[in-house]
Amino acid sequence: MAGLGVIARERRAAFLFTAPAIFCMAVVAFYPILWALYLSLHRRLPIFGISKFIGLRNYIFLAQDTRFWNAFFNTLYFTLVSVALEFILGLAIALVLHQAFRGRGWVRAAVLIPWAIPTVVSARMWEWIYNSDFGVLNYLLVSASIISTKLNWLGDSALAMHAAIMVDVWKTTPFVALLLLAGLQFIPQDLYRAAQVDGAGPLTSFRHITLPMLKPAILVVLLFRTLDAFRIFDAVYILTGGGPANTTETLSIYSYKLLFQTLQFGYGSAVAVVTFVSVMVISFFYIRVLAGVREG
Amino acid sequence: MKRLFPTPIFYLLMVLAIVGGCSKKEDAKEGDRKGAVQTIVFKHFKPPGEPRFFLDLIERFERENPNIKVKDEILPASTDEQHQYYVINLEGRAKEFDVFALDVIWVQEFIRAGWLLDLTPYIGAQGLRGMLPGPVSAVTFKGKIYAIPWFMDAGLLYYRRDLLKKYNLTPPQTFAELINITRTVLQAERDPGLLGFIFQGKQYEGLICSIMEFIWGNGGDVISADGQVVIDSQEAGDALAFVRDLIYKHKLVPELVTTADEEITRHIFGAGRAVFMRNWPYAWNLFQRADSPVKGKVGITLMPHFQGKESAATLGGWQLGINPYSRNVDAAVTFVKFMTRYDSQRHLALTMGLKPTLVKLYQDPDLVASQPFITELLPVMLRARPRPVTPFYMMISQILQAEFSAVISGIRPPNKALASARKQIERILELERP
Repeated sequence: MAGLGVIARERRAAFLFTAPAIFCMAVVAFYPILWALYLSLHRRLPIFGISKFIGLRNYIFLAQDTRFWNAFFNTLYFTLVSVALEFILGLAIALVLHQAFRGRGWVRAAVLIPWAIPTVVSARMWEWIYNSDFGVLNYLLVSASIISTKLNWLGDSALAMHAAIMVDVWKTTPFVALLLLAGLQFIPQDLYRAAQVDGAGPLTSFRHITLPMLKPAILVVLLFRTLDAFRIFDAVYILTGGGPANTTETLSIYSYKLLFQTLQFGYGSAVAVVTFVSVMVISFFYIRVLAGVREG
Repeated sequence: MKRLFPTPIFYLLMVLAIVGGCSKKEDAKEGDRKGAVQTIVFKHFKPPGEPRFFLDLIERFERENPNIKVKDEILPASTDEQHQYYVINLEGRAKEFDVFALDVIWVQEFIRAGWLLDLTPYIGAQGLRGMLPGPVSAVTFKGKIYAIPWFMDAGLLYYRRDLLKKYNLTPPQTFAELINITRTVLQAERDPGLLGFIFQGKQYEGLICSIMEFIWGNGGDVISADGQVVIDSQEAGDALAFVRDLIYKHKLVPELVTTADEEITRHIFGAGRAVFMRNWPYAWNLFQRADSPVKGKVGITLMPHFQGKESAATLGGWQLGINPYSRNVDAAVTFVKFMTRYDSQRHLALTMGLKPTLVKLYQDPDLVASQPFITELLPVMLRARPRPVTPFYMMISQILQAEFSAVISGIRPPNKALASARKQIERILELERP
């Protein structure tokens, strides 16, 4: 009997200790999420004094809203391409920085510069670089005879999204490289020496030692990057504002315009909720894979 | 805010004034009833140039009205963020500010939401007499006045006076003339770095300002006087097809305009790299600086129009309104009247280059002497037209931005884009029906 009392007391203490954390989470995370869910079931336009419950009608409208689906697929495309490029480039950079060479400390710090510049500043900078008439990118490409006529990077619907992806890759590859580098440093050097003794070449040891050992770090990186990329707003908003003709409009930009420029709180919340659910699905997928890696 | 020094002394003087001067004040009744100084909060964006000029004006007001103190609070520079701030606070019935500055495109929306105090009882139905017609129509709803135009903007055509003179050309009045002049100058100059005509074509609010001048210049509009959606009219379609042809057929407008905003076009024209540019009046002063490559070489005129039609300029600018939840309405009215009256607008024009809304100021001797360009501006200001005057404007703008962008980027033909815009706008207007 005394034992049970101890457990109950410990449970109560544990609850007390975690209560502040749970309270904070409830206030800053759960409450806004629930409120957005609640709003998304309403038609709410403060300007017209309209606020009424309409059930799932916002979601039914959303399913047929071509602008929503355009934004959804833009976001998906942006996420897949940017995360894939960032991962490949980041891994390559991490492998190089993991080698011992003179001035490695300086190079490691220098690689982080794009990550350190505020996105708003770097997006403005890229806007000028991409300018079709006097931007430095066209100047370099034309001087090097890679292209013959200047390209309208941000104005051409086939190029604008890729230009935005480039900016994101430029900015966040250092972050990927840094996390992977940390992962690389945890791999014991003995493994490589043993492999060398067994006659494994660099490619074999990369495939059978580096990649498997790096898997947890890789998954964490992919999780972070996918979630960030799926919510992309600032860089694209500044570069193109979603243009030309919404070809670079992402889910976050669409919901921003709905919520804060046109004040459609109900429908805007529905779009935000769908974005949130998409992000949750992605996280669950990664976390499942991550758990598999830990156990296996 | 460089007010650190005067503030303590100011408070001290205020206290002395209240303690010692109450009984002697001319409006003693008011002073006795309130018993103290009223403080009003004035929310606005960061004024251009030296903050001192702006503070001078507020201090002048406080000297004139010793029983009112003004606390001015500056919002972030982005117009979107200011809009967001007012919406969130007024939706929550905030009493924390009394007077605020509104972009011309928000006024009808805020009137509809009940977020602007009806000023007609305070200034009278004739209270805006002497002001330019564009801003007056933007702040009026069913004969009532909800804000007072403070200073304004209108789209202009900048041209290279030196280049036109070189080839004996006069500034264009029609778009056909604009094409001919641009072609003549470009062919004669044979400078691959010189562009023809540039305007703002990025997908943002500025795109609508540019394109509306073409549509109005052909007799078209978004919503007709009787409330019908007419954006897919022949006139509007022809105007948009003309803009597209300027870029892709005549090649007199470079493709870069499809990503350009005010500053990008201003930099190109300011570097002497374009014959014509559509922009706002602010660019003028920058072109006259000592280090400007186009100093003394720039002229301005009305935007051209199509054959047999009339020119129009898109109206921009800021108005002062009063928070309906304010607890200091009388003081706020006094302040708004002060800020928008002749000598205050004159002060803002002289020191900060803000363009007045009072017609008479365009003939003010001091202002004309220091900024001769203001007399040329009056015909443009007189033709300034507000973008669709409807509470739904912010939503309509979202639709038009995407469709106009689709046309000038060559993604959709004008008739298809405008038909789609019409359908979407009609769906929004249906919201008003129960």
